[in-house]
This record gives sequence, structure tokens and C-alpha cells, in this order.
Amino acid sequence: MKVLELKNVNKIYNSTEVKVHAVNDVTLQFEEAEFAAIVGPSGSGKTTLLNLIGGLDMPTSGEIIIGGTNLSRLKSSQLIDFRLNNIGFVFQSYNLIPVLTAKENVEFIMTLQKWPREERDERTYELLKAVGLGERINSRPSKLSGGQQQRVAVARALASRPKFVLADEPTANLDSKAATTLLEIMEKLNHDEKITFIFSTHDPRVVKMAHRVITLEDGKVVSDERKE
Amino acid sequence: MIWSIAWKNVWRNKKRSLVVIVAVTLGIIAGVLLVGIMEGWINQRLHDAVYNEISHIQIHNNEFIKNEEIDLTIRNLHEITRSIDSLKELSGWVKRTKIIAMANTPWANAGVIIYGIDAEKEKQVTEIYKKIVPDGGGYLDNQSARDILISDKTAELLKLKQYIVTDSMIEGLKQEKIPGNVLVKLENLKDIRFRSPKDFKDEMKNVFSRKELDSYGLLITGKALDYRIRNKVQITISDKEGNPVQGIFRVCGIYKTTNTGFDQASVFVNAGELANLYGGNDILTHEIAILLNNIEDAGFVKEKLDPVDRDNTVRTWKELAPDAAMMNDFMIMYYIIFIGIIMLALAFGIINTMLMAILERTKELGMLMAIGMNRGRIFKMIMLETVFLTVVGAVAGMLSGWTITGVLGKTGIHFTGWGEGFEAIGFAARVYPILTPEFFIFITIMVIATAIVSSIWPARKALKLIPVEALRTE
Repeated sequence: MKVLELKNVNKIYNSTEVKVHAVNDVTLQFEEAEFAAIVGPSGSGKTTLLNLIGGLDMPTSGEIIIGGTNLSRLKSSQLIDFRLNNIGFVFQSYNLIPVLTAKENVEFIMTLQKWPREERDERTYELLKAVGLGERINSRPSKLSGGQQQRVAVARALASRPKFVLADEPTANLDSKAATTLLEIMEKLNHDEKITFIFSTHDPRVVKMAHRVITLEDGKVVSDERKE
Repeated sequence: MIWSIAWKNVWRNKKRSLVVIVAVTLGIIAGVLLVGIMEGWINQRLHDAVYNEISHIQIHNNEFIKNEEIDLTIRNLHEITRSIDSLKELSGWVKRTKIIAMANTPWANAGVIIYGIDAEKEKQVTEIYKKIVPDGGGYLDNQSARDILISDKTAELLKLKQYIVTDSMIEGLKQEKIPGNVLVKLENLKDIRFRSPKDFKDEMKNVFSRKELDSYGLLITGKALDYRIRNKVQITISDKEGNPVQGIFRVCGIYKTTNTGFDQASVFVNAGELANLYGGNDILTHEIAILLNNIEDAGFVKEKLDPVDRDNTVRTWKELAPDAAMMNDFMIMYYIIFIGIIMLALAFGIINTMLMAILERTKELGMLMAIGMNRGRIFKMIMLETVFLTVVGAVAGMLSGWTITGVLGKTGIHFTGWGEGFEAIGFAARVYPILTPEFFIFITIMVIATAIVSSIWPARKALKLIPVEALRTE
């Protein structure tokens, strides 16, 4: 089932001196439960593309359709609600809410969505257990390692069962062991939860584990390989 | 959860939050004290005006108000007194004779208003009988002939207030643990009669050092004070034909209220004794003073009494003491002005702190917007943080202010240096701060309003963040 479709998407930044074509006529489709990596050199437009897919930025032209909704037709307030209900985010620098515990961080989005407490608690424990932090549910981010914080961030992104999760360089700040653990957890969750993961990454370990690798150069898709 | 995040965010930077909380606490304490003192003063002024000077309602002949002549008595007295007696709201009432007079002693004279009263009935309406100064004799007695009750101020003007250092006084001071060298210096003033406080104070300045005066001056002055009770005072008035008539009265007591102006003007004698002086068979009634059970009923009672006789004027305390009425009516304005200024100053501190907090948390706010926290919730979170920050300080301030005011409400604050000035305008030198529940409701509303208003700017700043840009900040 198709969860995300990009049709001739362009993003052009107009600075005073030069015009930067950050994303150039990108057309892509993502199916349910894909585990895809967007790779490419610095400045190739990976993060811009991820921001466009996530509705954090608007394309200059083209269409981004998520579950039948064209993002360009949504007002900014509708976009926030759309993100809340459809997209999970994992950021490079974890970006957890520092005053909340691991459990509270994970259930935060479900609280915004007004889930009943019992269901919220059940889902939170299930996810934290799945990311290997069942014993650290009451720890604040400052008491967790970088890898543990990123695992909480993954659990948070998955909490409300979004259509897909966007992960911008999720392993960039992690050591090798923590990165491998995180990737294994994400792959397992992708398999168990049937949620699409889209990464932007430089990390060869991510590329190695991805089922699909999309390569960008100067904002253009130069290759789109699916692994068997 | 937004409430919980907002509360936890307040304590993220404890030092910075505590600075704001302490500022709010101190601001509220200052506000509570200021208003408490103001309320105490106004309450005291109103109480003293009503219970010492004017009562709730007074009735006079229309013409007497313009020209206080002896024959301008209240018209239709019988009908009026019957109407007063039928009032359900009545606490007590009195008739008075009121004549402008000249008081003389061998040493001085002063213009006064002499009131002819029924001393016992007067106790139902005024509290002058409670205001007799220590060693100042006693209140008027219905039986005593030719007695006069004068004020401390009148005694001073008539030089019936003298200062004399005696052996017995020095003995008394020894019990108060006054240092020996001070008592030795005091011997220099022994048995000298000073007829005014100024003369005595000037001489004390020559004898004692400034430090000794600051420490013991008030005590020595108090002990040296000697009222010339039973001294004669000659009262001169005009009789009904306009001829001057004199009578001799003896000072039975000295009173002192908080209003020097009233004290200076008012002396009291038994109405019958005054009638003997101006001649005639009847006691003249120039003034009726009415005390009600509830001050709020004054306007209503005036409306009831007004039609009884149009030749008389019925006035409420608000008309008789417009200063007290104005202060009472404007109390809410004082609240708004005092607390408003304090809140305005605090608002800038709160805004500054919250703007710093927003600046520091730009990336976090960007993340919250990215993952789906809408603008309404962001606004609510910032507003709640501001309200919590302010309310914590306000609660601490109100509790501290309430405690301090409670203690001062019992002990009073004595403005020693400004006592005479305050009393000249009818305010007590010792004020007992008062806090009313209405004030606490008012300050709670003001604090929450300040917090909400202060949150608007920082919250708007947060709302203007663009998630994708905010997420890029380090």
C-alpha cells in the first residue's frame, strides 16, 4: 500500500545572489513498511527532502501526497495536526523534552492526541521495552546515554502509530555499538509495527541495513535501488 | 501534561526563576504592606471621624449651617426626635447645644466651640469618654457643676499643660533604668515650670546630648507632663440678645483624639450648665447626632428623616467628613494604583526572564512544533509557565505580607517623628495595618492578569518560530 508519493517536487532557495535548487524534480513513492535510506554527499538535498516530506517546509513546485492528502493544500495549523497524526520524527540530536522522563517523552504525542490513559500506558511500556529501556522508564534524558536517548526518540516517533517515521541522521551522534543497537531496534520495529522508516544518512551501516537506498546528487535522484 | 511540562520548565533554571520569584515576593509584600497601612489609616480615620466627631448622621437648622448663631436651633424638634426614635437602624442619638466661644485662662485664650451635652447619653454616640489621657482627670459627670472637658491641644493653647521635673518623677525614672548620668543632668531642670512643650524641649536640648534625647527624651517628656486639672477656665459666649456673657468652669478632664483640628476646637460641658450661662428656661438644641448600627444605612436613613422638616438639614457622614468619605470611596483606586505600579515593574522582569527562556529553548520549541504541538498548546505552555512563575512569588508574598501585616496589625507602626503632622490632618501617629479578604481577591486577580499579560510577548515570540529554522539553531 502506498503511504507517500512525491510528484515532480522542486525546492528552490532564492538568496540575493544565487538561486539554489536544493531539490530538483524528485518523483518517488514509498510503500507501507519500507526501510529506506536517502544518501548523498553534503549539500545534496537530503535534509531538505526530508523536511519537505515531513511538512516542515513547502516545495516550490510539485506535490507531496501522504495517504491521499496533498500537503501543499494544508494551512500551517492543519499541517501541525497532520504531522501529529501521520508522521514520526527522529532527529540527529535526539531532541527529547529534558524535563520529562523517558516514559513521559514517549507518551507525549499520545497525550496530545488524547489517547485514554490505559492505552497510552500500555503502548509506552510496550515501546520502551522494545527499545530495551523497560528498566529506565522514569529516567530523565540527562540520565541517559546518547544511544539510550535516541532509542527513546525512536519510541516516541512510533508511539502514535504514524504512517511513516522520518529519521534525519539518527546515528550521526552515536558510537558504533550504540548505532548498531539502534538500527537493529528500528529494523525490528519496522518489521513488527509495519511502519515505513525513511532515513537521511551518511552512515554506511544504515545503508547496509536499508532495504531501499535512494541516492541524491545536487537535489536530483540519481539512483533508487531496492535490495532483495 | 502541558501543565506538568510548564511547571517543570519553571524549575529548569532554578537560579533565574528564583530571582523573579523573590522579586515578585518582595513586590507583593511591599504592596500588601502599603495597602494594609493605607487601609488601616483610612479605617481609623473613618472610625474616629464617626465615633469621635460626626457620628453617622447630623441634623441642624438650615440657617445654623451657614451662620452658627445661638437662636438658630433645630425646628420641629419634637417631631424629629419621634422619627429618630422610630428608626430600626438606630444605635443611639444625642441632642447638643453648640455655641462659638472664647476660652480664657490667666495665661492665654483660645477660640473654641463649646458643646452642651448630656454626658451619659453622649457615651452612646461618641467615644470621647474613652479618650481621656493618662493623669488627665476624668470624663464629664452629669452631676458635677461647672465642669469642662477640654482637649490636650486646647490645654496646650490655654497653657494648662505644663512640664515640671519633680523629685518623685526622678524617683520614678530610676525604676525605668535610666542611666545615672541622665538623671544627674535632669536635676538641672528640677522644679522649673515650663508652660509649653516647646520651652521644655528647648531646655532639654541644652541639657542633654542628641543621643540621650533620642533614647530618653520621649519618656522624660511624658513623665514631666502635668495637666492643671481643676484649673479655672473662663468661657465667654453671646446670649440670645447678642450680649457677651461669661462663666467660670473648672477643667475636669483632658481628652485627646487623633484629630488635632477637632480637639483644638471642641470643649464639652453639661448642657444644663451652658443653659445657665446663656439664660432662658430651655436647653437649646443646635445639633442632633445619630449613630446607626450599620454605616451603610446612612443614606437610607437620611432619606427617611429629610421630609420631617424642610427647615432642617440632614447630613450623612459622607457630607460631614468628605475627606474620609472620599478616601473610603477611592480605596479601590489606591489599590489599583499601588499594586498596578508594582505589577508593572514586575511585569518587565517577568517578560525579560521568559524571553530569555524562549531564546534558550528555540530548538526545543521547534521540535515540539515539528512533532505536532500546535500553536494553541505552545501559547498555553508559555502562558502557564509565566503564571506559575508569578503565582509562586505572589503566594509567598501574600503569605509573608499577611503574616507581617498581622503582627503589625497588633503592635501598630508608630510614626514617631511625624505624629504631630498626621494628627493635624486627622490621622493617628500609630497605624494598625488591616488586610481585607477583598484585597486578597483583588491582588490574586491582579497577579494572574499581570502574568497573563506578561506571557503574551514571549508566547508570541515562540509562536513566530518556524520549526525548520528553529530546529537548526544550536
